[in-house]
Amino acid sequence: MKRRFLTASLATLIAAAPALAHYGMIIPNDPMISQQDGRSVALTMSFSHPFEMDGMILETPVSFSVTHEGATTDLLGSLQGATVMEEQGYTLDYPLERPGTYIFAMEPQPYWEPAEDAFIIHYTKTYVTAYGDDEGWDTELGLKTEVVPLTKPFGLWEHNVFQGIIKLDGEPVPYAEVEVEFFNEDLAATAPDELMITQTVKADADGVFTYAPPAAGWWGFAALNTADYTITEEGSGEEKAVELGAVIWVHFEEWTGR
Amino acid sequence: MIRALAVAGLAIAAPIGAAAHQLVVFASVDCEAVTVEAKFSNGRVTQQGDVRVLDGENNLLTTLQLESDGTARVALDSVDHTSGLLIEVDTGSHDNYWIVTPEDIARKCGS
Repeated sequence: MKRRFLTASLATLIAAAPALAHYGMIIPNDPMISQQDGRSVALTMSFSHPFEMDGMILETPVSFSVTHEGATTDLLGSLQGATVMEEQGYTLDYPLERPGTYIFAMEPQPYWEPAEDAFIIHYTKTYVTAYGDDEGWDTELGLKTEVVPLTKPFGLWEHNVFQGIIKLDGEPVPYAEVEVEFFNEDLAATAPDELMITQTVKADADGVFTYAPPAAGWWGFAALNTADYTITEEGSGEEKAVELGAVIWVHFEEWTGR
Repeated sequence: MIRALAVAGLAIAAPIGAAAHQLVVFASVDCEAVTVEAKFSNGRVTQQGDVRVLDGENNLLTTLQLESDGTARVALDSVDHTSGLLIEVDTGSHDNYWIVTPEDIARKCGS
C-alpha cells in the first residue's frame, strides 16, 4: 500500500513537471543574405520543442506569407513537405528579387494540447535581410498577435539585448509573459535544470520585453496570451481555451573579437 | 578599393561597409538593360555618384553618372556581358558594388 502510494505520488510529480514549450519555427539558412550567398533564401518550417530537438507534426498551415516593401504575398501553395526533427514540416526556397527586409510569417492550425487542456496557435515569423539593405526591419505585420521588434532582428552579436513590443489585436500587452528558448541544433547545449530549457521574462507596463542570450545561434521568443474566444474540442465536444503565441525567431552572431 | 577585390570568376569577398551609413548598391536586369540603384542605408537616395561598369575580367567597359533618383541604366547591347558585369558606385565618400552574373542575365532572358 505504501509503495503504491509512493508510485502514485511520483506519477503526480512527473505530471506536474514543467511542460516543454512548443514553438512554431521558421528558420532560414541565413538571416542576412548577401549577393555572394546567391539569390534566394532556404526556409525550414516546423513545430517543436527546439531545445530538445523534439519535433511534432506541423499540419498544413492556415497561412504562410512573405512581406517585403509593404506588399504581402501568399506562399502557402509553394511550401514543400519535408521531414524536420523526424516529424512533418515544410521547406521553401524563396527567390529574393530585390534588397530589403523580407518577413516570413506563418499561422498554424490550432494544435490541441491535452496536457494543457487548451488549443495552441503560435503566429510565427522571422526577418531576413537581403543584399545589405535592412530597410523594413521594424515592420509590423498586423497579425492577431506578434512581437514587433525594437531591436533590429538580425545582425546582432551574441549577448546583445533583444527588445520587442508584444501586441495582441494591435495593442501592446502589459506584463505579458515571454518564453525564450534556444534552437539546440547540434544538441551541444545542456541544461542543469529543466527550468533553464525555457526561460521566461515578462514585458513591462508598455508591453516591452528585453532578453540577452548567452550564446550565438537561433533564439525563439514566444509571447503568450489567452484568446478571447474558444474552440470546440472534437473528442469531448467541450469549448476549450486557446493560447495565442506571438513567436519571433532571431539569430545572434558569434562575437569575433577577443 | 573595390577593384582590388578582383572580379576573378565574379566570386569575390563580401562588401564591407566603410561608414556608419553605408552605401547600398543593387542592379536588376530586364534582358534589355541593367538598372543600377544606389541608396544609403538610412534610406536616403544617393543623388550623385560615379558608376563604373566592368566585365568579368575586370576591364572597364563604360562609366556614367547616377541620376538624381539614385539610378543609372546600362543597355545590355552596349556592353559585353558574357562574363558578367561588375557595377561599381562611388560617391566620393562611400562606395560599393553589385555583381550581375551571367546567370542573372540568363534567368531574366529566359535562356
